Amino acid sequence: MPKVFLGMSGGVDSSVSAVLLKEQGYDVTGVYMKNWSKDLPGMKCPWAEDLADAKRVAVGLDIDFEVWDFEEEYKQKVVDYMLDEFQKGRTPNPDVICNQEIKFKLFYEKALARDADYIATGHYARVGMLETRLSQCGSLSFDRHEHEVCGMRNIVISHPACLLRARDENKDQTYFLYRMSDESTAKTIFPLSEMTKPEVKAFATERGLDVAHKKESMGVCFVGEVGMKDFLREYLPAAAGEIRELESDRVLGYHDGAFLYTIGQRHGLYLGGGLPFYVVKKDLVQNIVYVSKNLNQDLLWSDQLQLEDLHLRNHLTPNELSEIPNLAVRLRHRAELLPVEVTACSTLTLTFTQSIKRPAVGQSAVFYSDKICLGGGIITE
Amino acid sequence: MIYLDHAAATPLHPKALEAMLPYFTTDFFNPSAAYLPAKRVREAYEAAKDQIAHAIGAKGVDLAMTAGATESINLAFTAIKYLLTHQSPSSTKSAANSQTISQPSSKPFKALVLATEHTSVLAAAASYPHSLIKVDHTGLIDLADFRAQLTDDVVFVSIALANNELGTIQPFAEIAEIIRKTRQKRLQQGNTTPLYLHTDASQALSLIDINVARLGVDLLTLNAAKCGGPKGVGALYVGHNVKLSPISAGGGQERGLRGGTENVPGVIGFAVAITEAKKHLTSNRKKYQKIANILRQNFSQIPLDLPSNSTKTPAPNQSSAPHISIIAHLDEKVNTFYAKPVFLGNPKHQLVNFIPVSFPGLDAERLIYKLEAEGILVSTGAACAANKGTKSHVLSATGLSDAEIAGSLRISLGSTNTEAQIKTASGIITSTIAEEYRRCFARKSGAAARLSASALQRQALTTRLEKNSADTPKYGGDNA
Repeated sequence: MPKVFLGMSGGVDSSVSAVLLKEQGYDVTGVYMKNWSKDLPGMKCPWAEDLADAKRVAVGLDIDFEVWDFEEEYKQKVVDYMLDEFQKGRTPNPDVICNQEIKFKLFYEKALARDADYIATGHYARVGMLETRLSQCGSLSFDRHEHEVCGMRNIVISHPACLLRARDENKDQTYFLYRMSDESTAKTIFPLSEMTKPEVKAFATERGLDVAHKKESMGVCFVGEVGMKDFLREYLPAAAGEIRELESDRVLGYHDGAFLYTIGQRHGLYLGGGLPFYVVKKDLVQNIVYVSKNLNQDLLWSDQLQLEDLHLRNHLTPNELSEIPNLAVRLRHRAELLPVEVTACSTLTLTFTQSIKRPAVGQSAVFYSDKICLGGGIITE
Repeated sequence: MIYLDHAAATPLHPKALEAMLPYFTTDFFNPSAAYLPAKRVREAYEAAKDQIAHAIGAKGVDLAMTAGATESINLAFTAIKYLLTHQSPSSTKSAANSQTISQPSSKPFKALVLATEHTSVLAAAASYPHSLIKVDHTGLIDLADFRAQLTDDVVFVSIALANNELGTIQPFAEIAEIIRKTRQKRLQQGNTTPLYLHTDASQALSLIDINVARLGVDLLTLNAAKCGGPKGVGALYVGHNVKLSPISAGGGQERGLRGGTENVPGVIGFAVAITEAKKHLTSNRKKYQKIANILRQNFSQIPLDLPSNSTKTPAPNQSSAPHISIIAHLDEKVNTFYAKPVFLGNPKHQLVNFIPVSFPGLDAERLIYKLEAEGILVSTGAACAANKGTKSHVLSATGLSDAEIAGSLRISLGSTNTEAQIKTASGIITSTIAEEYRRCFARKSGAAARLSASALQRQALTTRLEKNSADTPKYGGDNA
């Protein structure tokens, strides 16, 4: 029986994953990764409740269950990185880093050390096989019949395994997974790869899982999008500064830290009625937030983006990436796939067919060819 | 559903519910209002307080009603705050040693609390200088340690009448005598520093005949939700010698100690519940005693039906394996292994509805989820600690090993239980435990039980390992 360590969060996705793996005949050990346990303003950290939910499911399935404590590592690798990025005026994506550093690194390594054949998570994504290296075949092809079943059957996956979008396009989480290593990809099972979220919920209900209707956690692993400002206020010192109108340089109001604002943001400025203002620029040195009423303000739009800190999958090089036909990019989780041309120089330049609303600096751009996730990078300017 | 966690919460007594209902609807008036209907409510409220107070040998005016036991405990601890803020040199002036006593800051007032107190007591004590009084392995107070720690700076002692995880009842006759003698000694030395004795009687309320004078306490915490009353209702008995600081400033209710409009229905419900509990105290004790014995007996006789190969396979890694002698005992006559439960607490001084028991080697949380699926609700340690994945400080204080703590269940009986029900529950619990032990033995990896035939025989036939002995092998549940 192949041995699988499954990350169990106490949510419906990983719980259903546990049922599927067990029924497919794996020797499953459920693992609750304890990454964060502090309560925050306006948010009671649900870890104890989540842990109990995960364990209840594991006991019901009669699979082994363990708690692996990664709190210290999570603080160092994810939270500190995040705070640092915000302080630099960027808007990082902690889920991406959590997957890269915790779930598909520490968890993966610890599982291997425990003689795991595979690890598994409840992410919506697939793992497939590339028939040959991407650049050599010119067009991208992969063994369809194998990738269709991987994760559902005990098949041997060897390098280079590739990351593929999930069947449920609406839930596909490869945007958050693009930095997981090729090595861990080859050893990962995504049991939900072929299921849609409604199917997962229906399955959980049918099996009488208590977590079937549990509210889903969204966005950042532990605070959610709304909580991010509160979280930052808790951890970063406030710094009073001006809010100025870009065009007139007029001071319109004051803020308590430029790092709390994201380009394009229109809520939470408290500048009074009338047409909304948008954050269009941040001067971190002077601690000034520039706003504009003009949604067509050039700073908000661009047909080019620069990427750094690339993580390309399956040994793909930037040059090879630039040669891939029908290359598409995703600039946010669940955002539409945009056709893009890539020029590899000292940085990677993305050129779009038309002007796009600029994503926040620090967010990820993730490349796809058809279903295959090719990796991505961090947006700079 | 069979509910076996009455120490966590009791169902509301039907008579209490009935008595409360009018005070939500027709008799909703603010007891402080001047008109006659409000006066009726005020009278009913005061009568209810009297009724509650009578149950512990006190008067209604001696009670400060609170929102539950935790608040009552916090209010009790304000006795120290009061002393710190109202300390005047004249009030404690001592002929013998005026210098030190008139300067409390140089020697701050201190609290002593039992190591096994409820988290709310420990948390309240944390605001003041305090230290913990040791307990023995049954959870009974170590009187020698208590005496030794009862130094001249101690002004406040908090010891629960009965512990909430073990049901251990503390010897209040002796405790109160020690307190009395210490007060005498202080006065003899010209030292007027007060010394208050507080007890949290939440768990004991429906099972022990409580009388504040007989107990010799100055402060006593009551909790409605543990004796068939509503949640969020409690009280603090305040002896006439004790001065407290308000925990909530307001309209002067509860003698100015806790402002806020009175929880009329809650207190009315509490009065009915405590009266009912008191009325049936003897018969309930008999009933619980009987069904507790059934459970205890059945727990001592759980055949494990270990698969034959599990006792023959040599252990690949014996160092991580528990000794079979800790988990099971062999009945040679029938050549069967039986589970070896460790009954926790003190059998001679224990609430009769408490059956705290450990099955070393098992993960009690797993048992809870398995039993819950069968409709049986039990607890591990205290409910508050259970969900946090932390070790119970109560069980740790009694010196239990990690394996004993991990395998411990708290079963607490109450009004909902019948003998027939307990027999059903007992069958399911014992078979679940046997199942879990077999699972434990069948595991291929991890730190669970792995035995060799020789180790098995040697251990089973030789002397029983003493609990808590230094060479007790450490083995754990899933997290080891």
